[in-house]
Amino acid sequence: MKPEMRQKLAREPFAEKIRKVAQLIRLTKTFPRRLRLTDARPHGK
Amino acid sequence: MAINPPSDNLPLAAVLRAANELVAADLIEDWALGGALAAIYYVEPFTTYDADIFFIPKDEGLTDGIPAIYAHLQSQGWQIEREHLLVGGFPVQFLAAVGLTEEAVREAERIDYEGVPAKVFRAEHIVAIAASVGRAKDKARIEQLQQQADLDKTYLENVLHRHNLKLPTL
Repeated sequence: MKPEMRQKLAREPFAEKIRKVAQLIRLTKTFPRRLRLTDARPHGK
Repeated sequence: MAINPPSDNLPLAAVLRAANELVAADLIEDWALGGALAAIYYVEPFTTYDADIFFIPKDEGLTDGIPAIYAHLQSQGWQIEREHLLVGGFPVQFLAAVGLTEEAVREAERIDYEGVPAKVFRAEHIVAIAASVGRAKDKARIEQLQQQADLDKTYLENVLHRHNLKLPTL
């Protein structure tokens, strides 16, 4: 993300940022890292 | 205080209201929001899984009055899970403030969050606390605050000097 966009997000009202944190938590719980699934697969076949 | 079930938003207003009630109940002297949620007050939002409430104890005994705080919050419907108290399924840590964190509570910025009066650590204190801890994620937090928060450099230098701290090399 561009620094200007990050700066814009940082300037949002605190309540709006807290709503976004809640969204991020939901996304993280809904879509756990695919890397872990990939790592769990056996290699070499 | 009524406890709401888990919702789409973080129950931060309920957390802050509860902290105010602890002051009213004479269980703590003062408090402020610290940790990641305090940093988010100044920077872009990021994922965090708990709230850190730093408090100045009324009871200066060995336990800092934590058993009475837990008992009070449990009587209001909060649940205990390991070192966290849960409100609406959201974990909250109550941490006794001392030294740098006590100063951070006393000099915290007063805010209004959804109609609830609250205090949040100043960005300069968040930087100083991160410098004192020094983990990789603390260095990242310092860098983020330097880029996105309007730090008062003179104030920060004073805090760092008084607590014998230096900013890490980023």
